[in-house]
Amino acid sequence: MKKRKGGAAAFIAAVTALSLAACASSDTAETPAATETTASETTASETTAAAELTGTVRVLMEGVPDTDVVTALLPEFNKLYPGVTIEIETAAYDQMRDKYVASFQAPESTYDLAIIDNPWMDDFADAGFLSPLDDQIANTPDYNYEDIAAPLRAINEVNAVTYGVPFYNYVLGLIYRTDLLAEAGLPVPTNLDELVSTAQALNTPARAGIAMQPQRGYKIFEEWGNWLFSAGGSIYDENGVPTLDTPEAQKALEAYITAYNSAAPADSLNWGFDEALRSVSNNQSAMMISYNWMLPALNKQNDISGDLAGKFALAPMPGGKQVLGSWNWAIPANASNPDAAWAFISWITSPEIEKARVIAGGAPIRISPLSDSAVAEAGFGADYYAAVAEMLANSQPLSQGPNGEEMIQAVGTELNSAVAGTKSVADALAEAQKQAVNIQGL
Amino acid sequence: MAFRIKMIMPLVALFLVAIGYPLGYSFWLSLTNYRITKPGQTEFVGMAQYQALFDNAAYWEALIVTGTFMVIAVSLELVLGLAIALALRRQVRVRNMTRAFLLSPMFITPIAVGLMFRFLLNPQLGPLDLLLEKLNLSYDYFGPGNAIFTIALIDVWQWTPFMVLLLLAGLESLPRAPFEAAKVDGASPWLTLKSITLPMLSSVLVVAVLIRGLDAMRVFEYVFAITRGGPGTETQTIQYLIYQTGIQFFRLGQASAMAYMVLAIVLVFVIFLFRAINKEARR
Repeated sequence: MKKRKGGAAAFIAAVTALSLAACASSDTAETPAATETTASETTASETTAAAELTGTVRVLMEGVPDTDVVTALLPEFNKLYPGVTIEIETAAYDQMRDKYVASFQAPESTYDLAIIDNPWMDDFADAGFLSPLDDQIANTPDYNYEDIAAPLRAINEVNAVTYGVPFYNYVLGLIYRTDLLAEAGLPVPTNLDELVSTAQALNTPARAGIAMQPQRGYKIFEEWGNWLFSAGGSIYDENGVPTLDTPEAQKALEAYITAYNSAAPADSLNWGFDEALRSVSNNQSAMMISYNWMLPALNKQNDISGDLAGKFALAPMPGGKQVLGSWNWAIPANASNPDAAWAFISWITSPEIEKARVIAGGAPIRISPLSDSAVAEAGFGADYYAAVAEMLANSQPLSQGPNGEEMIQAVGTELNSAVAGTKSVADALAEAQKQAVNIQGL
Repeated sequence: MAFRIKMIMPLVALFLVAIGYPLGYSFWLSLTNYRITKPGQTEFVGMAQYQALFDNAAYWEALIVTGTFMVIAVSLELVLGLAIALALRRQVRVRNMTRAFLLSPMFITPIAVGLMFRFLLNPQLGPLDLLLEKLNLSYDYFGPGNAIFTIALIDVWQWTPFMVLLLLAGLESLPRAPFEAAKVDGASPWLTLKSITLPMLSSVLVVAVLIRGLDAMRVFEYVFAITRGGPGTETQTIQYLIYQTGIQFFRLGQASAMAYMVLAIVLVFVIFLFRAINKEARR
C-alpha cells in the first residue's frame, strides 16, 4: 500500500508540542497531595524500569510511508528506552507473510515484533504463532485501550483473546473531486443508485466517472465489499456465516458492473490501487473508492495531484458502512525479547504518541485524536478527521474466522469473473458463497 | 568398492542432499495433510491428496491454461526462432553485435520482464496504448479472451532468443555438401528448407521444443506480476495455483501433491516423446 509521505519535521514539532502540553497539564492539575505522591512514585519507577530495559527488537515491516513515520519516531522512543534498539527491516507485502511464517516456526523467531495484516490474524493466532497481549494491555498504566476504535480492536481478538494492537487502519471511503461535483450540480451520493448515477454523470470522453479496482482477488473484493454494504448487504450474518448470494449482493454486483461498463476507464479490468490512484490524480477520473489516508496525499501541494491539490474530499460510503482493514502489532510466541517488544508497542500506540503519529501522517487507530483540535490544526483538517471517525465507527473487515486470505481470494476471483463477463452475476455469487462457506469450514 | 564407484560417490552424495532430500521431503508432505498454520495436527493421509485432485476442477483448469499457454508460446517461438536463425546464418556484417542484441531479453529475470510489460502495456503509461489512441484504436491486453495471448507473447519476446540460439547452433553444425548439391541442382530456397534443412535439423528442433515446452510449463512470474491469474481464472497457470495453495493458503501438503502430479504428467509426456523420436530415428 502506498500513502503520503510523513513529514519528519512536522512529527518532531508535534512530539515536542505534545510533550510540553502533557507537562503543562500535569503541572496545573489540581490533585490531592497523596495522589500526587503516588503518581510521581509510579512515574519514577516506570522511568527507571524503562531505562533499565535492554535488548534488540527486530521487526519486519512493509516498505510504506507509515513505516517511515514510525522510523522517524524512534529517537523519541530511545530517549525513554535508551537500552532498547529497534531494528526495522522492510519488505514488499508479498514477501512479508512468507518471512513471518518461516520465522514463527523456527525455534527462535527472527523477529521479536511483527505486524500482521488483518486477514492473517485468526490463522496465526490459532496456530499459536502469536502471544496473547491481554495482560500487558491491562497492566500498562494510562494506556486507555478503549480509545482504540472498536472495529480495529475486534480484528485483534480471536476467541476472546487479544493477540495484537492496531498499527494503522485502512478503512475505505469515497474520494471525489469537489469541483467536478459542484460543476455538475450534484450532491455527494448517499445511496448505491446515486453512486452509479453520479459516476455516470461525471463520465466524459476525457475523464472517467470513477476509477475502479476490479483486479482479481483481494482488490475487487475490497472495493466491491463497500458496494455490498451500500446495497444493505453484509459479508457475514450474525452467526458468522457468509452471506454473499443474497438479493443485496446481487444488486451490489449488478450496480458495480454497470458502473464499470459505463463510467470506469476503458480496459481497466486488471486495475488495482496504483492504477486507480494514478487515474484520479492525473485528472483522468473524477472519483474512486480508496483508503481514507489517500485524501491528504491527493490534496498535498506540489505532489502527486499537481494543480488538482485541494480539490479532493473524502466521504463515508453511500449508506454509511465501509470495508475496514488494519495492520496490527503483535509479538511472536517464540520472540526472544517480548518485554522490549511490548514496551515499543505500548509506546507507539500510546495516546500521546498516537497524536504525534497522526499529525505526521500516520493513519489513526484511536478515536480521541480525531476530535482533537490540535491534531486537526497541525494535521489535515477537522473535516478529514471527522470523516475518518465516522467511517471507522461503522466499518467491517472482509473476513472473520479461519482461512481469511483464501476466502478473500476465492470470492475475489468469482467477482472478477462476473465483471469480465465470463460468469453471470448469479452464478458468480453462488460460487463465491459456496467457496466461502467451504473454505471457512462453516 | 570399485575405484570408479568411489569416485562417483561425492556426486551421488551431493545429489542426495541437494536434490534427493527436497524431492523426498516434498513427496512425504504430499502424503500428509500438512498445513503451515496447523502445527502439531499433521496426519499421514496416504494418496488422499492425489485422489482429491481428480475432483479439483481448478487444478485441471489450471493445467489446461498452462497447456494453452505452452502451445501458443512455444509454437510462435519455434517459427520465429527458426526464421531468425536462418536469417542470422546468412548475415555477413555485424554478426556478433546482432546476436548479442537479439539474445539480451533472455538474460533479464522473468519477474522484471513481467513488471516491464505491466507498465509498457498499461493504458495510462504505455507507449503502445498512446500509439493506438492516435490511430483511434484500443486493445485490452489483459481483458477476457486476450490475457493468455498477451502473457504468451511476453514469453515469446523473452524466450525466442533461446530458440534462436539452439537452432542457430544446429544450423551451423549441418554439413554443407547437401546444400551445395541442392544449389547446383537449382532447388528453390523453400524446397531446400523443406527437404534438407528441416529433416537434418529435426533432432535439434525436437530438443529445442522439449526444453522450451518444459520451461513454459513453469510460467509463474508474468502471471504473478501482471494478472494474478485473472480475469477470472483465465491466466491461472498450474504454478500460480500451486503457489497460492501452498504459500498463500498455507496448504503445503496439497500443494506438494499438485506439484508431483504435474511431474508425473510431464514425465509421461517426455517418455512418449523420446520413444517417438527413437522410433523415427530407427526408420
